[in-house]
Amino acid sequence: MKIMTPPLNVAVIVKLEPDFSEGNVTYNSDGTLNRAETKSTLGPHSAVAANAAFYAKVKYGARVAISTMGPPVADLALQQAQLISNAEELHLYSDRIFAGADTLATAEALKTGIKKMEGKMDIVFSGHRASDGETGQTGPQTAWKLGFPFLGDVIDYDINLEARTVRAKRLITLQGFYDIVEEVEVPLPVFITIHPSYRPLFKTVSERLAFEKYQKEAKVRAANYKQYLKIFNAEQLGIADLSLVGLPGSPTIVYKVERIPKGKANRNAEMVDGSDSEAIRKVVIKMQEAMSRMVIR
Amino acid sequence: MTEGDYRHLYVVMEHEEGKLIPVSLEMLGEARRLMDNFNKKYSSEEKVVAVVLGHNVKKICEEMIHYGADYVIYADSPELEYFRNLTFTKVISQIARDKDLARKVSEEYSKTFKKPRYMFFAADSVGRHLSSTVLVELESGLASDINKLTVDDIEVTHQHKTAGKPMKYNKILEMYRPDFSGFLWTLILCLDNKNPAIEREYHPQACSIIPGVFEPLEYNASRIGEIIEYHPKLEPEDLRVKILSRNIVKSEIDFSRYKVIVSFGRGIKESPEENIKLIEEFAKELDAAIGVSLPISKKPYSVSERMKFTYMIPDRVIGTSGRKVAPLLYVAVGISGAMQHIAGIKESDVVIAINPDENAPIKDECDVFIKGRMEDVIPKLIEVLRKQHPKIRT
Repeated sequence: MKIMTPPLNVAVIVKLEPDFSEGNVTYNSDGTLNRAETKSTLGPHSAVAANAAFYAKVKYGARVAISTMGPPVADLALQQAQLISNAEELHLYSDRIFAGADTLATAEALKTGIKKMEGKMDIVFSGHRASDGETGQTGPQTAWKLGFPFLGDVIDYDINLEARTVRAKRLITLQGFYDIVEEVEVPLPVFITIHPSYRPLFKTVSERLAFEKYQKEAKVRAANYKQYLKIFNAEQLGIADLSLVGLPGSPTIVYKVERIPKGKANRNAEMVDGSDSEAIRKVVIKMQEAMSRMVIR
Repeated sequence: MTEGDYRHLYVVMEHEEGKLIPVSLEMLGEARRLMDNFNKKYSSEEKVVAVVLGHNVKKICEEMIHYGADYVIYADSPELEYFRNLTFTKVISQIARDKDLARKVSEEYSKTFKKPRYMFFAADSVGRHLSSTVLVELESGLASDINKLTVDDIEVTHQHKTAGKPMKYNKILEMYRPDFSGFLWTLILCLDNKNPAIEREYHPQACSIIPGVFEPLEYNASRIGEIIEYHPKLEPEDLRVKILSRNIVKSEIDFSRYKVIVSFGRGIKESPEENIKLIEEFAKELDAAIGVSLPISKKPYSVSERMKFTYMIPDRVIGTSGRKVAPLLYVAVGISGAMQHIAGIKESDVVIAINPDENAPIKDECDVFIKGRMEDVIPKLIEVLRKQHPKIRT
């Protein structure tokens, strides 16, 4: 007998980021990123989050919605995330008013958008951090604004649909100590950021069949992604207080960007010509001396 | 805003198994230096307040005073034994807004106290998330991954904050954040909106601090300070995340087990696949672990799947965005030496760099700089190593 289970709604917040892969990324001669010439793509951590949502679809038949805030071209990130997750609903929050937002103001727009999605959200996923901004703040800040408990660095999760709870494993890295895998249980709804090492595992035949079916469907959907796409400006989104988004809603500003001055030398390097065989032989001796030193720490 | 609304620097401490973790002491050291300068500059007496939550934490409170705190505010409860974002965010925010605690720290201006002036968190897997949620609750701004801090009065002209007019901001925390390349500093400021149309006060000015960049103070048992207990107000819903188990795991890549580490960076770019193979061969001769610089973890080159999934991963990254290492011998191959990378290797005994560019910053951070292309130098090193008998095995 088939047990009737309540539906599960999951959302993913994603970001369009510089594409750091070969042939797409361009660096300036000083080692900094050339943003103008670097192509854009769905951020790698966003892709992992979309994968976690796809797991919920395959395993629990979840409905998936994806959202992003950005310029009109950011719909590329939504399309790419739909291809991964077979999403039913794509949201783009695009308005000049949103430009220049820091993470707090971004979280306000994303929170408002998530509340406009079809169905009441049970889980919202985000990536670990963006590969360009790298703050990792937008996820937890959106969680707090939604009033959802926040679970960071999740490497594995499963849902109990009857009890409406999620069990998740988190990887905690303690600098100078060790790593800890912590298992937690939380009633839904919950906000999860996915650790980069996350890999969904499909164990049963029926899961694998569902996986293939949804993957095929995702290809068709992503090819026609505009059918699923809803674009909102600030007014359409229903932002109650416009001073909470964009520049007015951002406590922080980037005051300036400067080159990090070269610090004082911490070591005094002996210069060795790489083509001088005798010098190389001496370096090897030095290496071996270093390696054979007693470890007294 | 009156002078008393926002006072003191609150430092959110982290500990594990009854010990303060290193970054906590580093934050206290920097907090002490910053507030000593602040008090001198502004002839004031604002305090460094360490905040710690946990169970049976009383014994580490003393230690925080000896490492630079004027006051320690602690909350002790079995419910706070392990970090839970929801619970900790509630308690830290309560502490940050508590007038009574502020009065115990300093009678002066305590009636008008609203929130701390500044707040520090650790940029690690606990503090990064905690700072994010606390600052939403406190409705203010946060800069992450900071490695330089100063306080100054500055004039700002900003389209929104000042309606395009130059305006004076006092006692602003200047928060410097290195970008992912490690060559640029972004100066981030958290500023009140002084524009009459959108007037709003943004305090505390908060940041998360990269582990390993600031020096802790010398332990000084004669330093005095005061320890204050706080009794948190928690509802059942604040405790709805249940911890079922906690298990210590070793990273798959455990750098601490190796005496030698060979790392590579973007210098492999000429022929990434072949160069990584060469580095593998070299590392094998030295019985070394292989690390990478941060840009490599972003998979910048097309290489075989094996290379991609073995090496181009965050778990291999050495530096402030990854792991700190301290081997007997560290060999940096094709790594330019961004400060984030250097911060992760500075405890190494001997550092050897292989790089064709003698102007690369790594030159000032190594003991031997071999000028040359890795394609030419590494085969020579391997050849000499193979000739050595017996092989030195660790």
